[in-house]
Amino acid sequence: MNYKEEIEREITENAIVVYGKGTKSMPRCGFTLETIEFFNRFGYPFEVIDVLENMPKREALAELTNWPTLPKVFINGKFYGDTDILGPMAENGELQTTLQEAFGAPPAVKETIDLHQ
Amino acid sequence: MIEDGALTDLIRAELPDAEVGIFDRTGTMDHFNVTVRSVAFRGKTLIEQHQLVYGALKGALKDGRVHAVELKTIVAEG
Repeated sequence: MNYKEEIEREITENAIVVYGKGTKSMPRCGFTLETIEFFNRFGYPFEVIDVLENMPKREALAELTNWPTLPKVFINGKFYGDTDILGPMAENGELQTTLQEAFGAPPAVKETIDLHQ
Repeated sequence: MIEDGALTDLIRAELPDAEVGIFDRTGTMDHFNVTVRSVAFRGKTLIEQHQLVYGALKGALKDGRVHAVELKTIVAEG
Protein backbone atom coordinates (compact mmCIF):
# COMPACT_ATOMS: atom_id res chain seq x y z
CA MET A 1 0.00 0.00 0.00
CA ASN A 2 1.14 3.52 -0.74
CA TYR A 3 0.91 5.35 2.57
CA LYS A 4 1.74 8.75 1.08
CA GLU A 5 -1.38 8.52 -1.11
CA GLU A 6 -3.48 7.33 1.82
CA ILE A 7 -2.29 10.29 3.93
CA GLU A 8 -2.91 12.75 1.07
CA ARG A 9 -6.46 11.42 0.78
CA GLU A 10 -7.10 11.60 4.54
CA ILE A 11 -5.86 15.18 4.89
CA THR A 12 -7.87 16.24 1.83
CA GLU A 13 -11.12 14.61 2.95
CA ASN A 14 -11.02 15.97 6.53
CA ALA A 15 -10.50 19.62 7.43
CA ILE A 16 -8.77 18.67 10.71
CA VAL A 17 -6.79 15.45 11.00
CA VAL A 18 -4.88 14.34 14.09
CA TYR A 19 -2.51 11.42 13.60
CA GLY A 20 -1.95 10.01 17.05
CA LYS A 21 -1.73 7.04 19.34
CA GLY A 22 -5.15 5.56 20.06
CA THR A 23 -8.59 6.79 19.11
CA LYS A 24 -10.83 9.69 20.13
CA SER A 25 -12.71 7.52 22.62
CA MET A 26 -9.59 5.69 23.75
CA PRO A 27 -6.42 7.77 23.45
CA ARG A 28 -3.30 5.79 24.29
CA CYS A 29 -0.86 8.63 24.81
CA GLY A 30 -1.00 11.75 26.98
CA PHE A 31 -0.12 14.06 24.10
CA THR A 32 -2.82 12.55 21.87
CA LEU A 33 -5.37 13.04 24.66
CA GLU A 34 -4.19 16.63 25.13
CA THR A 35 -4.64 17.30 21.41
CA ILE A 36 -8.16 15.80 21.41
CA GLU A 37 -9.11 17.98 24.40
CA PHE A 38 -7.57 20.96 22.65
CA PHE A 39 -9.77 20.54 19.55
CA ASN A 40 -12.86 19.69 21.61
CA ARG A 41 -12.72 23.27 22.88
CA PHE A 42 -13.11 24.71 19.37
CA GLY A 43 -16.31 22.91 18.43
CA TYR A 44 -15.29 21.94 14.89
CA PRO A 45 -15.43 18.32 13.77
CA PHE A 46 -12.02 16.61 13.62
CA GLU A 47 -10.73 13.21 12.70
CA VAL A 48 -8.29 11.22 14.86
CA ILE A 49 -6.39 8.53 13.00
CA ASP A 50 -4.64 5.90 15.11
CA VAL A 51 -1.19 5.06 13.77
CA LEU A 52 0.24 3.58 16.98
CA GLU A 53 0.68 0.10 15.49
CA ASN A 54 1.37 1.20 11.93
CA MET A 55 5.13 1.84 11.76
CA PRO A 56 5.36 2.16 7.94
CA LYS A 57 2.65 4.82 7.96
CA ARG A 58 4.34 6.62 10.86
CA GLU A 59 7.57 6.67 8.87
CA ALA A 60 5.75 8.00 5.79
CA LEU A 61 4.23 10.74 7.98
CA ALA A 62 7.59 11.64 9.51
CA GLU A 63 9.16 11.88 6.06
CA LEU A 64 6.31 13.99 4.70
CA THR A 65 6.45 16.49 7.56
CA ASN A 66 10.09 16.42 8.69
CA TRP A 67 8.62 15.93 12.17
CA PRO A 68 9.48 12.78 14.13
CA THR A 69 6.89 12.77 16.93
CA LEU A 70 3.16 12.04 17.28
CA PRO A 71 0.60 13.53 17.36
CA LYS A 72 0.74 15.38 14.07
CA VAL A 73 -2.02 17.81 13.12
CA PHE A 74 -3.13 18.79 9.62
CA ILE A 75 -5.64 21.57 8.93
CA ASN A 76 -6.95 21.95 5.40
CA GLY A 77 -4.19 19.63 4.16
CA LYS A 78 -1.44 21.74 5.71
CA PHE A 79 0.84 20.50 8.49
CA TYR A 80 0.62 22.39 11.79
CA GLY A 81 2.84 20.32 14.07
CA ASP A 82 1.36 19.66 17.52
CA THR A 83 -0.08 21.62 20.44
CA ASP A 84 3.33 23.24 21.06
CA ILE A 85 2.61 25.13 17.81
CA LEU A 86 -1.19 25.25 18.00
CA GLY A 87 -1.28 26.54 21.60
CA PRO A 88 0.57 29.81 20.82
CA MET A 89 -1.47 30.09 17.57
CA ALA A 90 -4.69 29.86 19.60
CA GLU A 91 -3.44 32.50 22.03
CA ASN A 92 -2.79 35.07 19.30
CA GLY A 93 -5.99 34.24 17.42
CA GLU A 94 -4.25 32.90 14.31
CA LEU A 95 -5.70 29.42 14.80
CA GLN A 96 -9.28 30.70 15.07
CA THR A 97 -8.83 32.48 11.72
CA THR A 98 -7.28 29.39 10.15
CA LEU A 99 -10.17 27.21 11.36
CA GLN A 100 -12.84 29.65 10.18
CA GLU A 101 -11.20 29.67 6.75
CA ALA A 102 -10.94 25.87 6.73
CA PHE A 103 -14.61 25.42 7.58
CA GLY A 104 -15.94 28.55 5.91
CA ALA A 105 -18.03 29.34 9.01
CA PRO A 106 -17.86 29.65 12.77
CA PRO A 107 -18.44 26.38 14.65
CA ALA A 108 -22.01 25.14 14.95
CA VAL A 109 -23.58 26.29 18.21
CA LYS A 110 -25.01 23.49 20.29
CA GLU A 111 -28.79 23.80 20.57
CA THR A 112 -30.07 24.47 24.04
CA ILE A 113 -33.54 23.83 25.37
CA ASP A 114 -35.12 26.26 27.79
CA LEU A 115 -36.85 24.15 30.41
CA HIS A 116 -38.52 27.13 32.03
CA GLN A 117 -40.62 28.11 29.05
CA MET B 1 16.94 7.32 28.41
CA ILE B 2 19.40 10.16 28.00
CA GLU B 3 21.35 12.52 30.26
CA ASP B 4 20.57 16.24 30.10
CA GLY B 5 24.13 16.94 28.95
CA ALA B 6 23.91 14.47 26.07
CA LEU B 7 20.56 15.89 25.01
CA THR B 8 22.01 19.41 25.04
CA ASP B 9 24.99 18.20 22.98
CA LEU B 10 22.65 16.75 20.33
CA ILE B 11 20.85 20.08 20.01
CA ARG B 12 24.08 22.09 19.96
CA ALA B 13 25.46 19.85 17.19
CA GLU B 14 22.76 21.42 14.96
CA LEU B 15 22.43 24.78 16.70
CA PRO B 16 25.85 25.64 18.17
CA ASP B 17 24.72 28.84 19.89
CA ALA B 18 21.69 27.23 21.52
CA GLU B 19 20.80 27.84 25.14
CA VAL B 20 19.00 24.69 26.20
CA GLY B 21 16.70 24.24 29.18
CA ILE B 22 15.67 20.70 30.04
CA PHE B 23 13.10 19.43 32.48
CA ASP B 24 12.55 15.72 33.03
CA ARG B 25 8.75 15.47 33.18
CA THR B 26 8.45 11.97 34.51
CA GLY B 27 11.74 11.25 36.28
CA THR B 28 12.42 8.52 33.73
CA MET B 29 14.82 10.57 31.60
CA ASP B 30 12.87 10.05 28.38
CA HIS B 31 9.93 12.52 28.61
CA PHE B 32 11.23 16.07 28.51
CA ASN B 33 10.21 19.68 28.44
CA VAL B 34 12.84 21.30 26.28
CA THR B 35 13.32 25.03 25.76
CA VAL B 36 15.79 26.18 23.13
CA ARG B 37 16.94 29.71 22.44
CA SER B 38 18.96 30.30 19.29
CA VAL B 39 19.70 32.95 16.66
CA ALA B 40 19.07 30.25 14.03
CA PHE B 41 15.32 30.66 14.67
CA ARG B 42 15.33 34.22 13.37
CA GLY B 43 13.02 34.73 10.39
CA LYS B 44 11.63 31.21 10.71
CA THR B 45 8.05 30.16 11.42
CA LEU B 46 7.34 28.31 14.65
CA ILE B 47 7.01 25.05 12.72
CA GLU B 48 10.38 25.60 11.02
CA GLN B 49 11.98 26.38 14.40
CA HIS B 50 10.64 23.14 15.86
CA GLN B 51 11.71 21.21 12.77
CA LEU B 52 15.29 22.42 13.33
CA VAL B 53 15.31 21.05 16.89
CA TYR B 54 13.56 17.82 15.91
CA GLY B 55 16.16 17.40 13.16
CA ALA B 56 18.80 17.37 15.90
CA LEU B 57 16.82 14.88 18.03
CA LYS B 58 15.76 12.60 15.17
CA GLY B 59 18.17 9.78 16.04
CA ALA B 60 17.41 9.86 19.77
CA LEU B 61 13.66 9.81 19.10
CA LYS B 62 14.00 6.98 16.61
CA ASP B 63 16.05 4.69 18.85
CA GLY B 64 13.85 5.47 21.86
CA ARG B 65 16.39 7.29 24.05
CA VAL B 66 13.87 10.12 23.94
CA HIS B 67 10.21 9.13 23.99
CA ALA B 68 8.41 12.47 24.12
CA VAL B 69 9.29 16.14 23.99
CA GLU B 70 7.29 19.20 24.80
CA LEU B 71 9.20 21.84 22.94
CA LYS B 72 9.45 25.58 23.22
CA THR B 73 11.65 27.67 20.96
CA ILE B 74 12.75 31.24 21.59
CA VAL B 75 14.34 33.50 19.00
CA ALA B 76 17.59 34.94 20.39
CA GLU B 77 17.92 38.67 19.86
CA GLY B 78 21.05 40.70 19.16
